[in-house]
Amino acid sequence: MQSKVMDDFRKSSINSSNFVLQLPANYQQTEPELSASISIPASQSNGLPAKNNSETLATFSLPAALAYPVQIPAGVTLQTASGQLYKVNVPVVVTQAPASRPTQREAPAPRPPPGPSNPRLHQETEPASFAAQTHTSLPMIPESDLPHPTYESEITLGEDEASPSQEPVNASPLTQLLNFQISTERALKETVPSRDIDEILKEVIEEESEKARKLSAGSTDNQPDADLGLDLDYAYSQLSELVQLDGPSDNSEEDEEIPQDENDFLGFINAEAIKALQDENISNDSNSISSSDEDPVELTNVEEEDPLNSGDDVVEQDIPDLFDTENVIVCQYDKIHRSKNRWKFHLKDGVMSYGGKDHVFSKAVGEAEW
Amino acid sequence: MAYQLYRNTTLGNSLQESLDELIQTQQITPQLALQVLLQFDKAINTALANRVRNRVNFKGSLNTYRFCDNVWTFVLNDVEFREVTDLVKVDKVKIVACDGKSE
Repeated sequence: MQSKVMDDFRKSSINSSNFVLQLPANYQQTEPELSASISIPASQSNGLPAKNNSETLATFSLPAALAYPVQIPAGVTLQTASGQLYKVNVPVVVTQAPASRPTQREAPAPRPPPGPSNPRLHQETEPASFAAQTHTSLPMIPESDLPHPTYESEITLGEDEASPSQEPVNASPLTQLLNFQISTERALKETVPSRDIDEILKEVIEEESEKARKLSAGSTDNQPDADLGLDLDYAYSQLSELVQLDGPSDNSEEDEEIPQDENDFLGFINAEAIKALQDENISNDSNSISSSDEDPVELTNVEEEDPLNSGDDVVEQDIPDLFDTENVIVCQYDKIHRSKNRWKFHLKDGVMSYGGKDHVFSKAVGEAEW
Repeated sequence: MAYQLYRNTTLGNSLQESLDELIQTQQITPQLALQVLLQFDKAINTALANRVRNRVNFKGSLNTYRFCDNVWTFVLNDVEFREVTDLVKVDKVKIVACDGKSE
């Protein structure tokens, strides 16, 4: 089984300093095949209960030297199989549990070691040694180096700020597949708070002991995933706090959108309602219906207005009857004059029929007021 | 060509009805009926122009007026036709007048 660390490293174009630590599922079996080994600070006497792998520093080409336990220097950014990045501010020691499950991930200390990242993984045996070795391959970092962190060549960088929350992450996921991405960018940016070595040691030891207890309690494969899921949710919840400027949560557009929808909908309703009304009221004028842009609620009013409007059509009926009179004068006009509403007629050679009798005239003069 | 205006008079209508009956019985052809009517038009125009010498005055209220194709059409209400001899009042009368100006 080949190590996949370098594969990912080659693929990743994020940063040359990034390297991926991938622990194969069967690391336990492939340990001997692992070519690379993690350098471990010689100072294993840091007090870590974990065993110290005194391997020399080497290019980090794979999952953990997997000579368990595997110690990862502090400030390493671990990437789970799900892609979640966790920054470990404390050295991580991956040990193989008696149940053949290597686990145990140390709680990170609030000290991300800055420094350029390199494909090499430097292990710090000292829990307090947050500052990792330089990428230039420092096999070990003596405790004496801790007081003055070497920011230059720090391997581990926490891309993810949620590193502190990574404590619950057990090593069991690591056992399956863990991609450790290490970048030095963050390391450079981040500053390591100055602490006393003794305090740091105490914290690390305590955290590690807790981890051990946690692991001993028996962790299933799902648990780490669940924990990871929780962490993921936590991170997501943080993201959700971001202000959403658009989308359904935008309240500014609600008022505008609703009326538009209503108008469109109403228009749709009007067409249907109008059709229904037309079917019901055939006698009603279609003009009033088609010209109305009222809401469906007001359609009833339109219906009421039709009979009212029909009152305006009084003259219409009189027109056909108006010209069907028996009294007809057929003549010729010499001159028709009008002044405002007063009309004067000068007619000639006419035949009149009225009162049941016919009359003729050679000339007729008339006045009428319109 | 004389106006066919006077065909819609009592006299003209009577003539047309008679002609229609003859056509129905096929005693005359429709062409002949048309010629008869044309002759009627000429005769009535000449007679009104030459053989009528009276004057009439009327007064009333104008209900409608229409001028189309040089033909005036009025409808008067409550009209009094006053002639020398008598006075006739009519509730409604229609006046159709063609242009009488000579060309």
